[in-house]
Amino acid sequence: MNITYLEAIRLAQQKALAEDPRVFIYGQDIGGFGGAFKATKNLAKEFPGRVLDAPISEDAMVGMAIGAAIEGMRPIVEMQFADFSTCGLNQIVNQAATLHYRTGISCPMVVRLPSGGTPGGGPFHSQSMEALYAHYPGLVVMTPATVEDAYTMLLEAVALDDPVIFCEHKFLYYHLKAEKLPEEALPFWKARIARPGRDATVVAYSAMLHEALAAAEELVHDGYDIEVVDLRSVKPIDTDTILASVARTGRLLVVSEAWPWGGVAAEVIARVATEGFGLLDAPPQRLNARETPVPYHPALWGTHRPTASSVANSLRQLLEL
Amino acid sequence: MTKEIARRSFRLMLEARVLEEKLAALYRSGKIVGGVFLGRGQEALSVALGVHLRRGDIYAPLIRDQAGRLAFGDTILDTLRTYLGSSLGPMRGRDGNIHRGRPSEGYHAMISHLGAMVSTVCGSLMAKRFRGETGIVGATCIGEGGTSTGSFHEGMNMAAVEKLPLVVVVANNQFSYSTSNDRQFACDDMITRAAAYGMTGRRAIGNDLIDCLKVLGDAVAAARGGEGPQLVVADLLRLVGHGEHDDASYIPAALKESPLGRDCLDLAQQALLENGWISEEELSEWRTIVEKEVEETSAKVLREPAPDPAEEDWNAFSVVGRNLSGEDEE
Amino acid sequence: MFPSPSPQSSLPLLPIIMPQLGESIAEATLVSAAFSVGERVEADTDLLEVETNKAVMGVTAPCGGILKELTAVIGESYAVGATLGYLEISEEDAERLGLNDAPPPPVEQPKKKQSPNTDGASSGKKLVKPTVSGLPVPAHAGGASFLSPRMKARMAELGLHAADLAGVAGSGAGGRVTIDDLERFLQDLERNTISPASSMRVAVADAMRRSWTRPLATVVLPVQLDTLLAHRKQQPVKAGPALYALRALSIALSEMPATAGRLIGERLIHPRSIDIGFAVEAEDGVLVPVIRHADQFPLADLVERYNRLVELARARRLPGSDTGGSIATITNYGVFGLTMATPIPLPEQSLLLGIGVGKITPFWDVEKKEFVPVTEAQFTLSFDHRVLDGGAAGRLLQRVAQLLSTPEDL
Repeated sequence: MNITYLEAIRLAQQKALAEDPRVFIYGQDIGGFGGAFKATKNLAKEFPGRVLDAPISEDAMVGMAIGAAIEGMRPIVEMQFADFSTCGLNQIVNQAATLHYRTGISCPMVVRLPSGGTPGGGPFHSQSMEALYAHYPGLVVMTPATVEDAYTMLLEAVALDDPVIFCEHKFLYYHLKAEKLPEEALPFWKARIARPGRDATVVAYSAMLHEALAAAEELVHDGYDIEVVDLRSVKPIDTDTILASVARTGRLLVVSEAWPWGGVAAEVIARVATEGFGLLDAPPQRLNARETPVPYHPALWGTHRPTASSVANSLRQLLEL
Repeated sequence: MTKEIARRSFRLMLEARVLEEKLAALYRSGKIVGGVFLGRGQEALSVALGVHLRRGDIYAPLIRDQAGRLAFGDTILDTLRTYLGSSLGPMRGRDGNIHRGRPSEGYHAMISHLGAMVSTVCGSLMAKRFRGETGIVGATCIGEGGTSTGSFHEGMNMAAVEKLPLVVVVANNQFSYSTSNDRQFACDDMITRAAAYGMTGRRAIGNDLIDCLKVLGDAVAAARGGEGPQLVVADLLRLVGHGEHDDASYIPAALKESPLGRDCLDLAQQALLENGWISEEELSEWRTIVEKEVEETSAKVLREPAPDPAEEDWNAFSVVGRNLSGEDEE
Repeated sequence: MFPSPSPQSSLPLLPIIMPQLGESIAEATLVSAAFSVGERVEADTDLLEVETNKAVMGVTAPCGGILKELTAVIGESYAVGATLGYLEISEEDAERLGLNDAPPPPVEQPKKKQSPNTDGASSGKKLVKPTVSGLPVPAHAGGASFLSPRMKARMAELGLHAADLAGVAGSGAGGRVTIDDLERFLQDLERNTISPASSMRVAVADAMRRSWTRPLATVVLPVQLDTLLAHRKQQPVKAGPALYALRALSIALSEMPATAGRLIGERLIHPRSIDIGFAVEAEDGVLVPVIRHADQFPLADLVERYNRLVELARARRLPGSDTGGSIATITNYGVFGLTMATPIPLPEQSLLLGIGVGKITPFWDVEKKEFVPVTEAQFTLSFDHRVLDGGAAGRLLQRVAQLLSTPEDL
């Protein structure tokens, strides 16, 4: 049986709704329509009154979820696109993220962000927002790259007492399939060695993991054995696993679909440079999207963010240093 | 309208007034760091909402709601502790002044972004509804300026769409900081917004305790009875600066001298005396007791420790943060 | 250099090889070709002009033939041993030059590609690949001395310095030594007999390694010792020749103290007092006791002190106050029978005066017009060439020799 990344998310929500009466889902078009991407297909029917259509009010959606969470519910807010979450930015970063720190009461809310680029998405349907939210203390930011992680990590997100920004990648929704769903998994905050290697470490997450793996395969022909680390979550970052990998290889490339300034790649490199300087054989490198809004035309979009081929080229340069 | 509720309300107004005078004095003598925003002149409206709420209700007061907060169960002690940054206060120095609450008791701690609390109260009401709790009311207050924000709009709309038992009190005190109403909204009467959202609108005379108690009593009862969200608009005048750092010289003298500018505490006292619900002696006694309590509590809190950065849990930003800072186990 | 039959004819092709145009030359740039492809070339004529960092030189045809192909590009650099083109030659010449002999053993290829060509679009400019084995550092090895943070951390862990890696061939980018090279090298060492170095040995090694970071040079002057030896014979308590040299040097330095100065940046730091040390062999190392203010005491006053210091040093009981802080050192390597040496000054000093063994040597007596026997020793002055040039060093040494010729004034 082939389970897509999207189906894994749907199944996780179904399981959460079934097992925990505190869970409910709020978002635009998620009720009878099943959601813009069908992530809640049939769930409104199966769990009447718990999968609700929201007005186009991202601020109020999140504020409502916070209030419900204060009273002990476990709301899941589906933003139709990650790009619209900025309409609710204030509630996320100023109320949800600060609640526990200020009052000692936790805010167990999950905000699901359909993130990342697809051909023709354009500037407002393609963004990767993880760095923005990761910047604020108090938020957990998850960026699953596999079908299995989309499933287990969403369940973990619901179970966590902290607000979770769950960045699911739109391109992976239907492109990624798995045979079956796991019973257990690594805890959400642990990174995974997706491909063991020896000559260089590539740290990636979300859709870029697959570009990194493809690049690693390409580099086999060049005679190199590349290690690929899947961050899985970007907040918290599993620095220990990254440092252990760099200790093995001495070279680091970090790949992210988001923009370079102050992003996850910059954060990983800052940590490795600070805590693992003596492990490095070469300056650490990063590969990000170009410093422009995400372009609409597929020809432009194709070179806007890292691809297997640009990752491979960056690796070749890194290995020459 | 019962004598008890009027007496209780007046007592709370008096406490709020004396307490806030103390806060102003502490601020001017350099004991309070940060902003001090007082509700002088708005005690009647604020307390009228607070006394009609009960345990299990949700309350998100804002800046000028000291009286309402005391009505809902906040204390002079917690108030002073928060303003003076005592590590023993509910916010433990991590937030201050009016940014305080006890969310687990239904008393939300506001954030500074006006309008944001409307949807938060809605969310708590949704939770109660999910759990089958009935007869609950959620309430929040806001100035006329705060109603200009997008989050206010979204929250109001959502409350109406979800048919929640929400009471929103708009204290139209004529000025948002220095901005007069003509620069804040263009509709003739803010009460028309109620219909626009699909809510019931009610009007109260903001500085008249008796009128406020009646109108707010009706509004809360209507919400509690399942009639849907209620908007109460009350006209009054802010009798202090926007904050204690502001002298409000932009408020015209004419306005201050108009009926709008009359002090609600004086009016309430007069009303209680006229109705025979209190005597002069009792008034004087109350004043003495309240002043003593405020004075003693203030002296006690001034001796309490400030938060110690060395003792502070710097991983308290989240539950996950605390767990990951210690063990590796989840 | 493998013979390959040309596609058009059956005549053998002789590769034109970049010669070794100087001991330290590893590569040269092609400047011009004297002949065009297809032209006939006579033996021993210059085919090409190449430029090294020292001069422009010619590449000669080892025999006559036709310039069949020029693979080298003008303006590009090629390693010693690289093929620059082909000369079509006769069978006899091929036989004579031994083209049919067994090819030399293949050059070991480095594990990783050295090409920087990563863009997909070919740029044409390729990195030099060394074709000659035995060169310790390949051409274009810009990174040979580069130590990455990882390398430095590992070396610090092991207590190693760059000097310990001097003989390690690097397989990394730019010829640098990689962690793998290092670990393999260290593993390989285990196959040798290893004995621990004494702490004295390690201390001397450290001092010499640090001293060597400066450009050091040595000048030599033969000095006649007869007068000195006669003077010494008459003394009730005898001091070694080193003390005579020490006094002579101290007087000379008091006359020109800047010669014992140190250059720090662009400033010459003058010595504060003429304290001079002298080397004493102690077990497997050298200790350097010091005579303080040596310029202020006549020789006779220093003899006892000197002998006592020698004793203490040999017994390794030299007090801390009697060592360190000297501005120059005397070393008498003549006691080992050495005529000359180029010892290394201490890292904090600019001068080291050395005394070779005295030998009976014929000396031309101008008056007698005959060779007469004299006792002569080579005196060396090793110095930090940043502080002194040969001339100043020579003058200093001449003055020392002059002072030694009147030992009664020391």
